[in-house]
Amino acid sequence: MTARTASAAAGAGRHRALPALLAVASLAMAAPLLWTLLLSLKPNGELLRSTRSAFSPPYTLQNYTDILGHSAVFAWLLNSTIVSLAVTLGVLALSSLAGYGFARLRFPGRGVIFIVVLFGLAIPEQSVIIARHQMFSALNLHNTYRGLIFPGLAAPFGVFLMTQYFRATPQELEEAAALDGASRFKIFWRILLPLSLPAQATLGIFTFLSTWNDYWWPLISATDSDMYTLTVGVASSQMNFAQTNGLGFLMAQAVFASVPILIVYVIFQRYIVAGVSRAAA
Amino acid sequence: MRRRGTTVGGGVGNLALRGVSKRFGSTAVLDDVSLEIGAGEFLVVLGPSGCGKSTLLRAIAGLETIDAGEIEIDGARVDHLPPGKRGVAMVFQGYALYPHMTVRGNIAFGLKNIGTERAEIDRRISAVARMLEIEHLLERLPAALSGGQRQRVAIGRAIVKEPKVFMFDEPLSNLDAALRSRTRQEIANLHRRIRKAMIFVTHDQTEAMTLADRIVVMNQQRIEQVGTPLQVYRQPATIFVATFIGSPAMNILPVTRASGSGTLQWVRLADGTQIETTACEASLPEQGALRLGLRPESVRLCALGDGQTKAVVDFVEFLGDKTHVFLSLAGGDHLVVLDGASCQVRAGESVGVMFDRAATHLFDAEGRNRRLPG
Amino acid sequence: MPRAVIAGCRAKAVASHGQTAATSTRRAWSASRSEARSGLLFVAPYLIVFTVLLIYPLFSGIWLSLHKADLFGGSQFIGAQNYARLFRDPVFLTAVRNTLYFVLLTVPPLTLIGLGLALALNNRSRWSTLLRGLFFSSSVLSVTIVTLIWRMVLIPDGGLIANLLTAIGRSPVAFLSDAHLALPAIAMTTIWWCIGLPMMLFLAALQQVPQDLYEAATLDNAGWWRTLASVTLPSIRRTALVVVIIELILQFQLFGQAQIMTLGGPNNASLPMVLFIYQVGFQRWDIGYAAAASEILFGIILVAAMTQYFAARGREPR
Repeated sequence: MTARTASAAAGAGRHRALPALLAVASLAMAAPLLWTLLLSLKPNGELLRSTRSAFSPPYTLQNYTDILGHSAVFAWLLNSTIVSLAVTLGVLALSSLAGYGFARLRFPGRGVIFIVVLFGLAIPEQSVIIARHQMFSALNLHNTYRGLIFPGLAAPFGVFLMTQYFRATPQELEEAAALDGASRFKIFWRILLPLSLPAQATLGIFTFLSTWNDYWWPLISATDSDMYTLTVGVASSQMNFAQTNGLGFLMAQAVFASVPILIVYVIFQRYIVAGVSRAAA
Repeated sequence: MRRRGTTVGGGVGNLALRGVSKRFGSTAVLDDVSLEIGAGEFLVVLGPSGCGKSTLLRAIAGLETIDAGEIEIDGARVDHLPPGKRGVAMVFQGYALYPHMTVRGNIAFGLKNIGTERAEIDRRISAVARMLEIEHLLERLPAALSGGQRQRVAIGRAIVKEPKVFMFDEPLSNLDAALRSRTRQEIANLHRRIRKAMIFVTHDQTEAMTLADRIVVMNQQRIEQVGTPLQVYRQPATIFVATFIGSPAMNILPVTRASGSGTLQWVRLADGTQIETTACEASLPEQGALRLGLRPESVRLCALGDGQTKAVVDFVEFLGDKTHVFLSLAGGDHLVVLDGASCQVRAGESVGVMFDRAATHLFDAEGRNRRLPG
Repeated sequence: MPRAVIAGCRAKAVASHGQTAATSTRRAWSASRSEARSGLLFVAPYLIVFTVLLIYPLFSGIWLSLHKADLFGGSQFIGAQNYARLFRDPVFLTAVRNTLYFVLLTVPPLTLIGLGLALALNNRSRWSTLLRGLFFSSSVLSVTIVTLIWRMVLIPDGGLIANLLTAIGRSPVAFLSDAHLALPAIAMTTIWWCIGLPMMLFLAALQQVPQDLYEAATLDNAGWWRTLASVTLPSIRRTALVVVIIELILQFQLFGQAQIMTLGGPNNASLPMVLFIYQVGFQRWDIGYAAAASEILFGIILVAAMTQYFAARGREPR
């Protein structure tokens, strides 16, 4: 009996009502996305009269060409890319180093310090954001890349992930390397780090996504419009919504802003799913 | 008579341990272990799980620290040195090949770390690859190798470093039975070729008996006996060694003292039979239980009236080339007898039993073998 | 979405922490002083960032909550007065009520729908793979994109729902400007946005259920519902707990959807606590007051998560 037939026969699979419910759910899921797409393909003037026109052709790419001429969106895109990449690389480096230290090297206070880092996972953003804002004001770090990058480096999630991963690596490999005369850093650099690429990929993608989509901190820290990230920029467009007649343009912005992140999602889907699966296990 | 705290030399010292102890918390994982290994000797450390044999190996390698004692290699103390600097190489139980490096990379890693020249590295790798017949595997990744191939790579990685001592941590336990006996021979051949000291840890007495120049039998963090395979088999120092080595295990029967004179001591079985042993009367303790040890091959079946005593057959195992006969004696003792292929007894039969006097062992209450001199 | 996974690790991490304390006998070689030095060097870079950017602001925030910031940039120690004022503040209390209501509106549906989707899509067919991708794709979008999309679904003048309603002869509904409908509308948006993660977590859990349990149930003539209730659900209990805790923590922190779609209105009907903190702290610059509110929110989240955790553990047969 294959796994499929077993599960199909016994409760984890098909029930008669399922396809119908699924269809309804899928429709509910896809409808807003399609609606957005359709709106973005219609000229602004037409939509001003009635949005119902989005249901029928003709469609146009005018809004998209307008975006390409609208320099602000590219500035936002650039900011998001710089900040997200920097935070991702920083987190990978810091978490890997710390993860190895916690997992394999004994130093005084290791256990206690690790628990403290773990409890850091429980600290919600709003508990630190006010004080951080004050601190960065005092240090003149608002409206700078550094100001947008630094907070993201403190997240304990990466350290937790890498520590668990290194702990699970067979100790025999490190012992063999020690017998082969490798120093501790060399063991880290040449043996453990290359072997941890799957964990790095998962951590990297999670960090990139959460930094890219971050709203609250960039909202209050990057208040100059040329420092806006893409996420904040889209919000600012929305806020001006009532003053503009550019509905089609606005929706095209939504699509445009979605594209980079959806591309990243499609490419790295495997690692996202793997990471979530590991979290469930 | 317990061989504890004394060193038994096998020749000019190549590796020496003196009084090595290690505790973890309040538990001892190694208890006052002393040992000497001669140059080119093949030493097998044999014992059940948890006896401390792997810890001993790792302590020699430097993967474990020791709390007391000294370790010397070629006369120089090494117990303060990190593993890479002791001149030892180890073949791990799981082989521990670096998964992301090719076979060549795995073998070269150690040499690179100590700054060996490229040309020398290549030369050594070629030589080792030829010796172990893994030349065609050099560019592969470990995941693409079979278990036996991985082990040869692990051995190659050890050889190429030209260490003073080779160590093997249960290398055969991951292999299936057929591969195991073939690999055993390969390791024996290897030793003959490179003539370096080898320490081989195992729980399997067949491996120990067939490979070792000397066997170190360990139990509960201590050395029970060190000797050649024949010595350990014929003259087990303790009841543990006696029952651990040999399959089926030695029969152990509780006995009481009977009469004795000079070098002969008679003992009595539960059913009243008196058996002669070669233990010296004077060396036996006044009090304390005694136990008689007899290997299955030292007991013989005969016709019902001809034996020293009689027994009922409980169970017979025909193995083709030999037979195991399980007997019950009057008085409640049980015996296993090793008989030949032509044995024809059946369960329920009564048979006569004869004991080989020269092969009896007598163990005192602490498990020491009183039969041995000294 | 990723923050949700991060949040979820709290439940896991605290539970598995026991392993950090248990040390194995297989110690790595070391001269322990050099090992200690190396160890500290490896963890130091992260610890510095952690302390400066997480620990210090945490305590600084508590300290701030005990002060009143005045208009000229100075501050004055006032002890627990901010907290007392909060408990008397009708807007804050409304925000607390709204937040609790919102959590009730979102967490059960997210859990149940997530489970339902996972059950329905737990197979290898091409359709299922496609649909799984569809349901998860919304989770990778930022809150600003999601609110933009849904605003155009919800607004009475030209929104998708409005168009559909007029097409069947009904008049459009002003979701976001209706005091009773604003929060539910935001909840619907949020469910659409966040459904991917619970679905994924349940999928992973379902795949861990040993097949022979299902085979035994078949041999025992168990029907679909019986198998679900007796085999599937008990096996994924732990994951269900994780999902609930993650979503609890996440949805208590509702911010962007309310801030962008309704600004907390109409008349604070859809004002969640985090938006309250934002308005008080970053628009009115009453920093101490906002800090106090954020500490109260922290406390509520902690209590809710712990309660859920212990309640579920208590019921579980050991």
